[in-house]
Amino acid sequence: MKLRALHLTNVRKFTGKRASITGIGDGITVVSEANEFGKSTFFDAIHALFFEKYSATGRAVKSLQPYAGGAVEIAAEVETDAGHFRIEKRFLSRKAARIARLPEGTTLAQDDEAERWIAALLGTGREGPAGLLWVRQGLVGLEPDSPKEKSQLMETRRDLLSSVAGEIDAMTGGRRMDRVMRRVTDRLAPILTKTGRKTGPWKAALDEIETLECTLAGLNAQVATLDQALVDRKQAEASLKRLDDVDAKARRDASLAAAKAALEKARAHAGAVTAARQARDLAALTAKGAQSDLDSFLSALEALQTAEKREAQSTAALADAADEATRQKSALDRAQRHLKTTIDTATGARRALDAARRQSAARAAQTEAARLDTQIADAEAALGNRDAARAVMRASPATAEWLRRAEQAQDAVAKLEAAAQTRATTLSMAYAGATRITRNGTDLPADRPVTLDGETRLELPGIGTMTIRPQNMDEAGKAQLAKAKAARDALFSEAGAATLQDSRALAATRSEATAATDLAQAILDTLAPDGIEVLRAAKADADLAAAGAHGDALPPIAELEARVSEAEQAQEAAQRLLDGADTDHARARDALMKAQATAEAAQHALDRARTDAGPPEIRESRRAELLRSQAMADEALTTADAALETLIAAAPDMQTAAAELQRAEDAVTAVRSERAQVAERLAALLSEIRTHAGNGIEERRDEAAGQLDAARAIEAGFARQAAALTRLKAALEAERDAARETYFGPVQEELKPLLSILHGDAALRFDGENLLPAGLTRDHAEEALEDLSGGTKEQIAILTRLAFARLFARQDRHIPIILDDALVYSDDSRIIRMFTALTRVAQDQQILVFSCRQLAFQDLGGARPAVEVADV
Amino acid sequence: MVRFIHSSDLHLGKPFGRFPEDVRGRLRQARADALPRLASLARAHAASHILLAGDTFDQTTPAPSVIRQALNAMGAADQVTWLLMPGNHDHANATELWRQVTQDAPPNVAPLLTPEPYPLTAHATLLPAPPSERHPGRDLTAWFDGAVTGETARIGLAHGSITDFDSSEEGGSSVIAADRAQRAGLAYLGLGDWHGQLQIGPTSWYSGAPEADGFKHAQAPAALLVEIAGDGAPPTVTSLPTGTITWTRAPLDLVGDEDSTGAFEALLPPLSERALTLFDLVVTGRARPLERVALEQAIASAAPDFLWHRTDLSGLGAVHDTADLDAIDRHGALRAAAEVLAREAADETLTAQERATAQTALSHLFSFALETE
Repeated sequence: MKLRALHLTNVRKFTGKRASITGIGDGITVVSEANEFGKSTFFDAIHALFFEKYSATGRAVKSLQPYAGGAVEIAAEVETDAGHFRIEKRFLSRKAARIARLPEGTTLAQDDEAERWIAALLGTGREGPAGLLWVRQGLVGLEPDSPKEKSQLMETRRDLLSSVAGEIDAMTGGRRMDRVMRRVTDRLAPILTKTGRKTGPWKAALDEIETLECTLAGLNAQVATLDQALVDRKQAEASLKRLDDVDAKARRDASLAAAKAALEKARAHAGAVTAARQARDLAALTAKGAQSDLDSFLSALEALQTAEKREAQSTAALADAADEATRQKSALDRAQRHLKTTIDTATGARRALDAARRQSAARAAQTEAARLDTQIADAEAALGNRDAARAVMRASPATAEWLRRAEQAQDAVAKLEAAAQTRATTLSMAYAGATRITRNGTDLPADRPVTLDGETRLELPGIGTMTIRPQNMDEAGKAQLAKAKAARDALFSEAGAATLQDSRALAATRSEATAATDLAQAILDTLAPDGIEVLRAAKADADLAAAGAHGDALPPIAELEARVSEAEQAQEAAQRLLDGADTDHARARDALMKAQATAEAAQHALDRARTDAGPPEIRESRRAELLRSQAMADEALTTADAALETLIAAAPDMQTAAAELQRAEDAVTAVRSERAQVAERLAALLSEIRTHAGNGIEERRDEAAGQLDAARAIEAGFARQAAALTRLKAALEAERDAARETYFGPVQEELKPLLSILHGDAALRFDGENLLPAGLTRDHAEEALEDLSGGTKEQIAILTRLAFARLFARQDRHIPIILDDALVYSDDSRIIRMFTALTRVAQDQQILVFSCRQLAFQDLGGARPAVEVADV
Repeated sequence: MVRFIHSSDLHLGKPFGRFPEDVRGRLRQARADALPRLASLARAHAASHILLAGDTFDQTTPAPSVIRQALNAMGAADQVTWLLMPGNHDHANATELWRQVTQDAPPNVAPLLTPEPYPLTAHATLLPAPPSERHPGRDLTAWFDGAVTGETARIGLAHGSITDFDSSEEGGSSVIAADRAQRAGLAYLGLGDWHGQLQIGPTSWYSGAPEADGFKHAQAPAALLVEIAGDGAPPTVTSLPTGTITWTRAPLDLVGDEDSTGAFEALLPPLSERALTLFDLVVTGRARPLERVALEQAIASAAPDFLWHRTDLSGLGAVHDTADLDAIDRHGALRAAAEVLAREAADETLTAQERATAQTALSHLFSFALETE
């Protein structure tokens, strides 16, 4: 199909007018007008004509209606292999559609039949080839925003490619594939997430299995507990029956009675043995006592002999010790007396030495007191001089500083006066005759300059009076001089001076007073550095120390000191002698005391031994009696031992009898205890059994087992279903991907030469899902389409459509490409190359371009029909 | 003459945990209702006793309510005497169970817990062989041979399988001599354990369970009415239907060319019976994809009619040719995927599970492709 002419009547801005474009060529046709001329109106009208039913009232149609209202009429003249036709639609009012054959104008179809004619011409409306190739104004992206439109364009691409490539739809499965895939996904989604996790009822089945397994394990445990309890109860009942056996109880009672009797008999015999053992022990004690008495008597005799010997020895030793003590006491007394004599001698020598030393000190103090008296008098004289000089200083302010300032003040006055003198007007007169000029009545002297201090009136005899008003000093200078003088005079008056000379004399006087003060102070500091009172106190001390001094001759101190030393040495020797005597005396005294103690002890031992041995006259009879008693006790012991041995040999085994009784009693107790335990255990088991049996535990266990089997079967069903659906999905995806490789081949072939015009050896990669370019490969590097510039994306979109259009053309489906203000983002260089690509495709493809870029599209070439507007 | 009802294997309290809750309740109730039905039969046929040859209860410690309600139902039928012999599920060593039965039993109910003669009537003596354990491992009827019963007719009652025929429901080790009735001079030997009704010899019968509990036995559940005239005359045994819920396992073997939907519908019971039918369809053989899809749709359509239904299609293989695959697509990715899956389904080098997965995937593909038409 090729468009030849377009006619718009009462559409938007063309209110009450008809706008026509005629003369649309086979190749490129450019409708290039300024903005607002209505190119988008033409484009939208084409869409409405071919994609909207004549009866439509939707926004797409209403947007074409002008503000004034009225029916919207659109017509297009097309050329197909079947001839020339005019397609007309009238929207919104007296709606109609009509197909007319040209040039006769005969009607071929109307209204719905006309719609079907159009559908057959273009395919399936907006989803047909035109939907892909008729690009709206400013549509840069490759993917529309709305899901609905996106879905439609997906279908369009698929349909178009299917029709172009013949078998493409069959290869990819087309919409059926999509729907089958969707069904697979829909069936998988409830049980398997996209990440492969089990979910929904499958997950619930797994959870239920886990829960039931836990439940079943718990119930099995309870059943096992119940079974065990039943077994235990049976055993307990059997035990109880055994424990309650009458014959066994009688046997236990008889055994217990016999054991008790045997034990009583054994205990009686044991009593007899105990008595015999006590008799034997008594005999043994008696024999032991007799032996002990004998041994004691013999020991006493022996001890008596020893004591008598020791008593004699200690008495002799005591006499020796007493003698030695007496001798040492005499030596001690002598040493004490000698020491007292040496002490007295030393004391007298030291007293003589002390008296000589005190007299010597008194005489020295007397000399010091005289010296201090002189020093105090000198100090007091210096103090008077200093105070007088200070009075002079205090009375005169004529310090050196004051004098310096006075001299500066005088110097300042002198300098000002000298300056005034320098600037003063002088008058020198050399008289030629006797006539004199007088000033203020006085003759003006000749030959020396006269300073004119102020207005001066000169009488010039015979001439008249001349008044001179010199400008010697200004008022400021005078004031400054007066001020200087006043300052100087004030300074002078501070010290009572009238002149600088007076001032210097006053300053000299004050300076001398200052020197006198310093001298007196220096003397004072030397004589009484701590003050005169200190000197006076020292003198008083010296006077006190000097009291008692007399003029008698004194013995030599050194001689007295030698005497003292000699006496003290003699005293020390006497002391050492005394210490030695004292030690010897103490040692002798200790020896005496020890000897006394030994003698006393020996006497006591002798007395005790005599008592123990008894009187000498009965000692032999006592020895015989003790020997007889010992023999009798030994015989009695032998007899008792024999009796005890006889009883022990005949004694029954007490431990055995007791053990037998214990065994019999334990047997009875054990049976009683076991019965109580069994009864208690039985009661517990009955309770446990009733608890479990009451819950129908086996029934619940079997029910849970059945539920678990059912849940596992359900889970296995989900697993099988998921496996099958997953396998199906994988198979479908694999085959569809393989088909898409074939699917995009023809498009790539058509696109390749077009793309090379723009980007050299670049290649496009298509997305298998949305059938759109996904990436551009340049210089062996791929860039995602969304990362490319707006201009490049726009160019690729148009080139892709051109490639599709060439595919259609190769299948003899010639659909015009309509570009509404496309390439708005392309720069001058690229737009020229895009024109080349358009021109290449336009060799067997009609291309209709609407653009407001009149200048830029000048380079595109092609037909350039004008828009003709006429009143209806 | 003595006339009694012989039944067994009521399995009261069986939980049926594999079934949904509502079905479980129905199945339990049906088993409980078997007692009044047996009582009704006894009353209708003037039977003086009802002999239950074991497994009256499903567990050794059933819930007290199960025991009490069973005894109440028996006690309500006070015109007959119920003789309860333990089976392997409720063996005599189930002390708690039988202690409670003994304690709560109404006057017309007697448990037979020991192997000793029980005077049934003045002219008949019952010789019970109660299992003492779940698997006693010996012939408990051996004592019948020497049992002293005087001149009365000797009626044996046992639970287990006989030696030359494994009649045990659980493949148990009970061994009952096949000629026990003859060797012990029994006028009748009533057996339990086998849930289907079965005659073993001239005087030996398995009564079967009065209510089915599985798909194993095809015949309708029933009890036996036994009449013994005495004087060595053979017993008169009459089967009396007792079942209320039908358990149907329906095998459907397809060869690939028939009308699978028609074959399936031919298996279906009448609509009026389906609400009390558990229908277990086991499909085997091979089917064309379109036939399979149609069959699955027919099954899905009929399923809600039943109390419970299950379909096992795991044994159904696929048979298809080019024409079948054309139903998916004549060419293209869908067709290619179908062919890949078909090859996998027939590839013997793959595991059975992998082949089954491919087969199921192919079936889904058929189903989805046809849905999209």
